[in-house]
Amino acid sequence: MTAQAEIRDRRWPWYVAVVAVAVALSLSMISPPDAVQGDLIRIMYIHVPAAWLAYLAFTVTLVGSIGYLATKRMVFDRLAASSAEVGVYFTGLAILLGMIWGKPTWGVWWTWDARLTLTAIMLFVYLGYLALRRATPDPDARAKRSAILGVLAIVQIPIVHFSVVWWRTLHQPPSIIRPDGPAIQDPLMVIALIAGVVAFTVVYVALVAKRMELARIEDAIVAREATFERPVAGEAVVAPDLSPEPGGAR
Amino acid sequence: MKRYWKFLVPAGLAVVALGFLIANLNSNLVYFNTPTELMQRQADDARLRLGGQVVPGTVAESATGAVFEVTDGRETVLVDHTGAPPDLFQEGIGVVVEGSWDGSEFHSDTMLVKHDENYSPENPDEPFPGS
Repeated sequence: MTAQAEIRDRRWPWYVAVVAVAVALSLSMISPPDAVQGDLIRIMYIHVPAAWLAYLAFTVTLVGSIGYLATKRMVFDRLAASSAEVGVYFTGLAILLGMIWGKPTWGVWWTWDARLTLTAIMLFVYLGYLALRRATPDPDARAKRSAILGVLAIVQIPIVHFSVVWWRTLHQPPSIIRPDGPAIQDPLMVIALIAGVVAFTVVYVALVAKRMELARIEDAIVAREATFERPVAGEAVVAPDLSPEPGGAR
Repeated sequence: MKRYWKFLVPAGLAVVALGFLIANLNSNLVYFNTPTELMQRQADDARLRLGGQVVPGTVAESATGAVFEVTDGRETVLVDHTGAPPDLFQEGIGVVVEGSWDGSEFHSDTMLVKHDENYSPENPDEPFPGS
């Protein structure tokens, strides 16, 4: 009855992540400075991948949510939740890096244009997703409710991405995923950007794998504690409990 | 009946919120006005934003800041800016200025530089500067 809680600790994704990040950082440093913004362009090589990985993470949350609703298997719930946590991290990183870029470029850390506002809303919606999970103790109800939110919240991703095309914003329109084809022509700039996306994808996979493993162990512990707390069959007399906590005898 | 309410209340709230959002999107999500839109506007004290490209050859220093023209390709507006322009301010770059419109010129006290989506090295033939 007790779930297996052995720890499968894989180290190799982290080694790959360290190498990929080191390569990406080196490429971002040797690529040429931009004609207008100079060395500030180097922030773009981590800001844009962070934003894309947030899109990817929330898309994986959608996949996990649909998977759970279709099969009721908890592994999909853990995938959705783990990916959402990492997605919140990348969203926050994209906003923070954008602010560091915005101050010297635009002249302000923050402004309420459509892209920035919608990205902030996306961050808070997925923080709400994580809060919803914390607020629901029952595993099945938690999985179902957060799966519904995980499906609904995905509408934000195209709105956030195309906000700079649909409305007049301070934030520049997309340079790569856009109707007229990429606007970056210099090969070293494109390579540095691709290397950043690859590196962050490896980091994302390593973080989600680790978080899913952690969630599996958490679920196993909760399941085991639930069986401990059940009264033993045929138990007629209960020993007087003198410990300060109810059910404190372990 | 209780189950219906559990779905109807959040669904109703979501529909109201979505309707409110769509109704306001086109007016509130416009971050700045273009020179063409500004020309059609009456002079008043309302605070608004004007965005466009700095016309090359029109930038001049003034006692309080800078005077220059901003265009969207169709109309051109004279901007009297008070305060130090940002580092990236230059001829031909996109700017968003904040201030008021008196019917003939735009008095701004806040300037943001709008970077476009194009990135390119200073000299495309020489990717490594100094090599």
